[in-house]
Amino acid sequence: MIVAKKKLIKEIAESLSGCKRVLVVACGSCVTVCLSGGAKQADELASQLRLAARAAGGKLTVDTDCMERQCDREFVSQLTHDPKNYDAVLSIACGVGVGFMSELFPAARVLPGLNTTFYGAATADGVWEEYCHGCGDCVLAMTGGVCPIARCSKSLVNGPCGGTTKTGKCEVSPDMDCGWHLIYERAKAAGRLEALRALPVQKPRNWAKDRSGGARRLIHKELTNPEDGR
Amino acid sequence: MAEAGLTSKDLAQLSGTAELMERLWAPCRFGCPVHADVRSYLECIAQGRFVDAVDVIRRNLPFACVCGRVCHHPCEANCRRNDVDSAVAIRELKRFVAEQAGAKEPAVRKAAAQDRQTVAIIGAGPAGLSAALELAKAGYRPTVFEKFPRAGGVPATAIPVYRLPRDVLQMDVDWICAHGVKLATGVAVGKDKTLDQLLSEGFSAVLIAAGLSRSRPLPLPGDQGAGVHGALEFLTAAAMDRAPALGKDVLVIGGGNVATDAARTALRAGAGRVRMMCLEASEEMPAFPWEQAEAQEEGIEFIHRRGPTEVRRAGGRITGVATRRVTRVFDEQKRFDPRYDDGDVSIVECDTVILAIGQAAEYGFLAGSTVKLNARKQLEYNPATCQTNVPAVFAAGEIVTPPGSVVEACASGQRAARAMDLFLRGLPIVLDDVLPPHIDKIAPATADLVRKVRREPVAAQPPQVRRKNFAEVDHSYRASTALHESRRCMGCGSGAEVLTDKCAACLTCLRVCPFDIPVVTDVARIDPALCQACGICVAECPANAIVPRGHEPGWLGRLTAAALAEGSPKRIAYVCGHLASQDDWLARGEGAPGVREIYLPSMGAIATGDLLAAFEQGAEAVFLLTCQDAAERYPSATVRLRKRAAQARQMLKAAGIKSNCLAMFELTRFTRPAIRETLAEAVAKLAAAKTKAKAK
Amino acid sequence: MSEAVSKLQAELEARHFVVTGEIGPPKGTNVEPCLHEAEKYLKGKVVAVNVTDLQTAVMRLGSLVVSSLLVQRGIEPVFQMVCRDRNRLALESDLLSAYVLGIRNVLALTGDHVALGDHKDGMAVFDLDSVGLLGAISTLEAGHDMGLDSKGQPNVLDGSPKFFSGCCVTPCTDDVEMQILKLEKKVAAGAQFVQTQAVYDPGTFETFMRRVEHLKVPVLVGIVMLKSAGMAKYMNSSVPGVSVPDQVIQRMTDCAKDDREKVSVDICGEIIRAVKPFCQGAHLMTLGWDHLVPDIIKAAGLA
Repeated sequence: MIVAKKKLIKEIAESLSGCKRVLVVACGSCVTVCLSGGAKQADELASQLRLAARAAGGKLTVDTDCMERQCDREFVSQLTHDPKNYDAVLSIACGVGVGFMSELFPAARVLPGLNTTFYGAATADGVWEEYCHGCGDCVLAMTGGVCPIARCSKSLVNGPCGGTTKTGKCEVSPDMDCGWHLIYERAKAAGRLEALRALPVQKPRNWAKDRSGGARRLIHKELTNPEDGR
Repeated sequence: MAEAGLTSKDLAQLSGTAELMERLWAPCRFGCPVHADVRSYLECIAQGRFVDAVDVIRRNLPFACVCGRVCHHPCEANCRRNDVDSAVAIRELKRFVAEQAGAKEPAVRKAAAQDRQTVAIIGAGPAGLSAALELAKAGYRPTVFEKFPRAGGVPATAIPVYRLPRDVLQMDVDWICAHGVKLATGVAVGKDKTLDQLLSEGFSAVLIAAGLSRSRPLPLPGDQGAGVHGALEFLTAAAMDRAPALGKDVLVIGGGNVATDAARTALRAGAGRVRMMCLEASEEMPAFPWEQAEAQEEGIEFIHRRGPTEVRRAGGRITGVATRRVTRVFDEQKRFDPRYDDGDVSIVECDTVILAIGQAAEYGFLAGSTVKLNARKQLEYNPATCQTNVPAVFAAGEIVTPPGSVVEACASGQRAARAMDLFLRGLPIVLDDVLPPHIDKIAPATADLVRKVRREPVAAQPPQVRRKNFAEVDHSYRASTALHESRRCMGCGSGAEVLTDKCAACLTCLRVCPFDIPVVTDVARIDPALCQACGICVAECPANAIVPRGHEPGWLGRLTAAALAEGSPKRIAYVCGHLASQDDWLARGEGAPGVREIYLPSMGAIATGDLLAAFEQGAEAVFLLTCQDAAERYPSATVRLRKRAAQARQMLKAAGIKSNCLAMFELTRFTRPAIRETLAEAVAKLAAAKTKAKAK
Repeated sequence: MSEAVSKLQAELEARHFVVTGEIGPPKGTNVEPCLHEAEKYLKGKVVAVNVTDLQTAVMRLGSLVVSSLLVQRGIEPVFQMVCRDRNRLALESDLLSAYVLGIRNVLALTGDHVALGDHKDGMAVFDLDSVGLLGAISTLEAGHDMGLDSKGQPNVLDGSPKFFSGCCVTPCTDDVEMQILKLEKKVAAGAQFVQTQAVYDPGTFETFMRRVEHLKVPVLVGIVMLKSAGMAKYMNSSVPGVSVPDQVIQRMTDCAKDDREKVSVDICGEIIRAVKPFCQGAHLMTLGWDHLVPDIIKAAGLA
């Protein structure tokens, strides 16, 4: 699931300078689940922006709206407010939603309310951690499900560097697990150390499948329309 | 799970979330014959709104005061709290508000105009007067004819005053009559006027609600002569202050409530020894268990499993009753079919016999009318339309239903009134008796998690004192006990409802519920049979996909706006109402100057957005006061509120507003002085900080 | 058996116990002081001198340049290369550059993470890991690079290098099994010698050496001079894979401030003596106390 974090209100308020009417649009998918961009957060943000405007001696009209997802155009029909009537649309979806909405409403000024961060899982109540990097070439079978690209700070594929601390943490931060320590412990617990020991030398990664290859695309030919020209 | 799921579109089409509570009734309401909204009036009582509670009760139950004393409370039998610790004392609470608040401000809501047809009602008992009230409210002009000098029916003539004082009954009768019901006591239809005359003289319809005013006879050798009384006749005479002189050694034959009433009345009238003899074994006795217990405490002995065969006399005076052993009372199909052992005989000594083996109707009112009896000597009656063989003549109450209680008679009368209304408007009489489904029993796993609270006991006069007088046996609750007891109500059905179209299955509600109730598959589903209505999930749901059925949207905002409208300075305090007094809830206590207190049933329901909204509405300061009780009742509610307050403070600070104007206090001693002190200190601290800031 | 490309390689192949030293380039262009240190204290005393590559992710003058300057002054460098800052193109290119400048010893390292250094906002590249870098060295030595031509075939080089390539290992960590597994991969990818992270406990090191016997690769034990008890304690708590035994800390605590250098030298000497039987050399990391290198060599009985 995409995990995103709320932007500081100061930054948002600055990006809205000059605006008199703002529409905050929530997204009912990932950002609701990680409590950053749901309908409730939209209401809270709207309140906060209005209070901030008032504290600065001004006035800001802020309305809220919500879409099931901002990454599928069909859900635009769920909007009950017309972006045309606002100086800015503050989307609190992930970056995908912000970008996609700005395409769907080219005349509107669509601004981000969140900083989109990672693909993660809920590891404890209120806690989400990065589990996947979107590298395009999954090697989780090799490591028993612990991703060396996402969860090793250096994305090492042949084993750990020398920086693992005595408590199995990464040299980057004491509360960050060493990915390769996790891989080793997982294999040990699952009785799969032999398989880990038998791994051959892993060749250097093909980063072209990752972000280095440029913006990526997925096409399922069974569902495409020739008219779309894809 | 019975429901398919509510969407926000569905909700938008309703008049409010309260409509959702009409679709699935709490079992207390379902079990009540008049379907009073028990949950609602218990909530009113819990929040100190005693007068509102009476209004809610009286919407369905005209005999609020009477039932507060004598009702057999099927609501309590159905109360889901039975599976937690013990039922909420609903009847006692009803008694408390009906007699205290109801006496001071009996809200009477007459019809705008009473200009429809006139209706005659025979019998001013619960059935007749309830029907009269419904008809009066619908604009008809009912006149109730009562052969006895006092109105009330069985409550007036047969229920002893130690159970139901006269002035209490009179409150209900007066309230009903105040709606435009004419009462003609001392008029016996069939004697002073005939039924047919009523119709020909202008009444468009007649309702027979004469009840059962006669004791059923039990022909026994030796029963003619002095000393043998019918129980109803005896009780009625006592009610009219004309009780016959009894002997010293009274034997009441019968096992029902009339029998215990007669026995306990005889005791108070001066009998030396009073005993009851019935066919049933102790556990089979139809009398209410509490009546049995109280009678035994007063020294009345029960003789079980004996049937009378003869009244023995010597020189005309009764010396005893010959009895035989009862081998069984009911057959395999639970029908009344006693069998005896004539070989096991004995004499029970006594000098007075009161027969309480059942009630029967008196059909004197039918004299000179075309209304017929059937082959079994009962009124010819169509239960679907409440009509007798004469279309304009209807019947209700015990004269046509099986013997029942006051509240059942009220329900019967109300139903007949609905039938009569259709008839009088020329419409076909089609009555919809279908009820909404009711909430299931509470699951044991959930019941285990609900905090146990002892039911408030009712203080009673000690038996050796009360057996000598007719003063009321049970004392009423006081306000403090009423508040405490009503707060045991779990508010069944007023809890969370998930809007399935908005739910993102984010699992937050599942993670925060202190009672482990939500189940998340495609969306979250919260079982109304389990939800404890704490409001935590409502406050935490990121999709705003959970609505509280017991509150209309925007309820907190409206309370806040009202508080802020009261003038400057604009400071509000949201205070937990669990241990708060009535004065606290109604803002009648002495508070800290400049702070308006708003009492809430659950502080866990306050969301971060609510706190911000208060500031948007103009609040300069918001204080949160929780009590130690709530933390136990709704585990984690206080901790979560603390976190939301911290989040709100952070958001206020980021918006350029001093975050010290939002403060939370967790009181360990919840008294008016403690509340006042805490708030006064908080205000002073704020003022000091402001001065300091200005000085900079 | 091909000819050794460096003195370090020759000495190791001759089974002589070798000693290497280390210098760190300056943060700036003033390279003279570190070159002077190398000339004064290391030249002729150690067989080769490591030049660190932006150690602990702190921006400094490059190890390529300083290694080249050492060659010019007649000192054999070990050119350290980390994977943190450059992608495979740049790493391959720098290897060719190093060869052209006369550098022959290369130490392929992963590199400390950007977060540890002074440019915390920078991108952590890690296009290759240390195994991949060793593989790249082998590829270049074979006359190819890692890229493909228009026909999809590996590119052919116009002139190819030959190096003596090494790697590092952390022998005294709790996760030593993973270190050994990775070391096996490094050797499979072409590593010809190993320099270890700091060792203070000969016993633990001996256990480790037995477990890597099968790799048949020369190992130079890492010796880091302790400058104070505080530094020892810091290493224990904050430097991964390094464990200073309590007795050693106690010796630093107990000695007078003026005696610290001598005690430190003694400790180093003792460790080298103890581990000499089962390793092939010692790599001295003096952290600026280069003037003590001759004393350490003497204390270790290697003079």
